[in-house]
Parts: sequence; C-alpha cells; structure tokens
Amino acid sequence: MDLELSVPLVTTATTGTRHSRLEEEVVALFDQLRGPLLRYLLSFSIDIADAEEIVQEVFLALFQHLRNGKSRSNLPAWTFAVAHNLALKNRVRTQRQPAALPDTFADFHPDRSADPEEQAAGLQRQQRLLAVVRALPEQDQCCLSLRAEGLRYRDIATVLGISLGSVAASLERSLARLARADDTRHGSNQRRSACT
Amino acid sequence: MHLTDQDLILSADGELDARRAAEVRSHLDACWSCRTRQAELQQAVTDFMRAYRSELDYRLPPHAGPRALLKAQMDQRAGPAPAVPYRTAFAGALIAASITAIVFSISLMRMPGDLSKPKNTLTPGETRAVTIDDVCRLQKPRDEDRSLYVPVSLRQKVFSEYGIRDARPNAYEVDYLITPELGGADSIRNLWPEPYSIMWNARVKDELEDRLHDLVCEGKLDLTTAQREISTDWIAAYKKYFHTDRPL
Repeated sequence: MDLELSVPLVTTATTGTRHSRLEEEVVALFDQLRGPLLRYLLSFSIDIADAEEIVQEVFLALFQHLRNGKSRSNLPAWTFAVAHNLALKNRVRTQRQPAALPDTFADFHPDRSADPEEQAAGLQRQQRLLAVVRALPEQDQCCLSLRAEGLRYRDIATVLGISLGSVAASLERSLARLARADDTRHGSNQRRSACT
Repeated sequence: MHLTDQDLILSADGELDARRAAEVRSHLDACWSCRTRQAELQQAVTDFMRAYRSELDYRLPPHAGPRALLKAQMDQRAGPAPAVPYRTAFAGALIAASITAIVFSISLMRMPGDLSKPKNTLTPGETRAVTIDDVCRLQKPRDEDRSLYVPVSLRQKVFSEYGIRDARPNAYEVDYLITPELGGADSIRNLWPEPYSIMWNARVKDELEDRLHDLVCEGKLDLTTAQREISTDWIAAYKKYFHTDRPL
C-alpha cells in the first residue's frame, strides 16, 4: 500500500466550518488507514476488539492534534507511531506475551480455488514461513509488518524509535531468513551444485 | 565483487541515494548472480506479503460501524475550536472572550473543591502486577497523548464520580494517580479529573511521572517506593524529587 497522503488537507477554513472540515479530513484518513493499522495491531498480538478501540483512540488523538493546529507533516506515520505506543501499553495492561504474529497466522485460510495438492503445498509453505517469522526478534517482526504496510524506512525508524541503519539491518536479516526458507522450497542448493 | 543483500533490498525499496542507486543498477545489468539473489529476496517479500495480507485481511471486521462511531465521538468532543486570528472576526472574538470569561468564572465556582490531589475515598490508587522490564519497555507518552490513554467511557465515569457535569474540553486531564508507566492500573480507583488551570496541575504531575520513571529505569529508585510516593502525596513527591517548593 502506498502511504502517500491521498486526501486533501484542510489549509484554510472559516471558524464555522472548520470543525466539520477537520472531521471530514480525519474520516478520510480513517478510511485510508484503518485497515493497515488494524493489521499492524493484530500482528502485534493485540486482539481484534482492543485493536478497534486503539484505532478509535488514534483517530480521536489525530482529531485533537489537528484541532490544536499541530504539524500535518506525514500524518500516516504519526498514526502508526501513536498506535504503536498504545499497543505497547495495551500489552503491559493485559500481560500478553510479545511476538504473537505467528499466532495470528495459526488459523490458515487456504485458497479455496486451488486444488487440494496446491492447498497442501500452500499450507506447508505458510507453516515454514510461520516458523521463520516466529524465530525473528520482535523488533524485526515490527519492521517487517510496518514495511508491509507501506511505511518508508525513516517512518519505521520514527515509529519504533530506532535508527535508519537499524531498520535496514533488520529488514536485511528478516528477508535473508525468509529467502533461506524459500531456498528449501525450491531446492535451489541442489540447483547451484548442479551448475558447478 | 557482488552486491550485499542490504544493497539489493535498499535498491528494491527505493531507499538508496541517486549515486549509489545508479551503481547498483549498473552492477545488476552485468551480474546474473546478483540478479538471481535479488529475485530470491523479492520472492521472500512476495511470500511474506501473501501470508500477511491473506490471513490478516480475513480477520478485519466491516468498516461502516467503526467509522460511524468515530464520527459520533468526534461530534461529542467538539468543543470551542482554538481561536482563529482573523481580523474580521476580531470584534466577535472580543465578545466571545467576555462570554467565555463569565462562563469560566461560573465553572470555577462550580468546581468541586481542590482537585490538585484526588479524593482518597474515590481514588486511592491501584497497581497491576508488572516487572521493572515491563515498565521500562514503555515509552514515555507525549503530552498530547496522555489523557487519550483513558477510554472515553471510563473518562465519563470518572467525571460522574467526582460530580463534574459538562466538563469543558481541555480543562482536565483524567489522570492516573499511579501512571501506567509506573505500573498503575486501568481502574477507576486509579483515575481522577486533574485540572490544568491550577498551580499543581496535570502537566506538573506529568513531569514528576517522567522523573520517577527515569529514576526507576536507571535503578536509582525501586518501583514500589515510586508507586507509594506518587499515590500517597504526589505534590510532596514532586517537591522531594525536584528540590523545590513550587512547580518549575
């Protein structure tokens, strides 16, 4: 998903219309970002009811932020940063263990259009992937999920409070591991040895 | 000399500067080995994205209900917007300011006693079971986020318990007596409406919370002591830890 802001920003407004235009702006961002934020929170081990509540709080915070005339710079990344902090707080409150991305994937939903053999292969592939993701440090899982939601490296760094270099290193580590899992699937080690 | 995985990933993600990006493109034009590796990494991205999206999208509830709820909550929060400095509105603003001053005076007269500290019977403070690691993993909240940590429904209950009706927006922070960053519980027994308009106000307490959190995470103060001091008399704790008799 491209997280470039695709809704018009309110730049001027009369006092009478300012509130409703801010509301429209926040709702437009909600339409654009609710899905990505919910997915990120689910991947963060937050259950769906809590995730919905956090998303509501994020957009009410955004509403207040804009009403106070604060910065409009990169609002999508701002919402992810607020959601991330609320998710950390939720986790401490509910005493949930980190790294629940794999649990999220535990209920596999196969492609109904595929034949049974393909479904079984798909299930195996996802289970292998699951094992790889489960083994990743939590910060690496967060980087992966945020990148999957279309955040640029500098935004991921801001959300997680880490350096740009750490984001690059994290994604390199994660993708290298996922690629190794893929190597096993394709038997590429065999292919390389056959070429020598 | 082949490209590193990081170069290949940064290149695919458009995160390289122009000069390095050109170098990487030029190398890839010439090197089958690196192109193969780039394809493997791209396949890993594809596999991850397929699993991530297909599984998580399946779990997302319909959009319309939460959208309507958000709009209703924004309407509920709609109070007087921050002043807009239009010259043409200057006269109107003066009148509005006079009215606001009168309303504010009335609301101060109605304010239910000194709320710089909570009523002990309503808000004795409550903690949850946490370790030092738990609290130190939490980032300190930004000022504008603090009161938003408390769900709207709980905020309303707190106002109701303290007998405050028609609380003006931004007049209070529904504040944790023992902040979550020090292991405070999300319980009505740990929340009170703390005014912003008095000397020992919510922002001053926020500074104390940050200071105690730092001391606990630096190992200079144990968590139980921090919880006890902030819940017993947070103003006394502020004076103790900031070495002052007045807010800084």
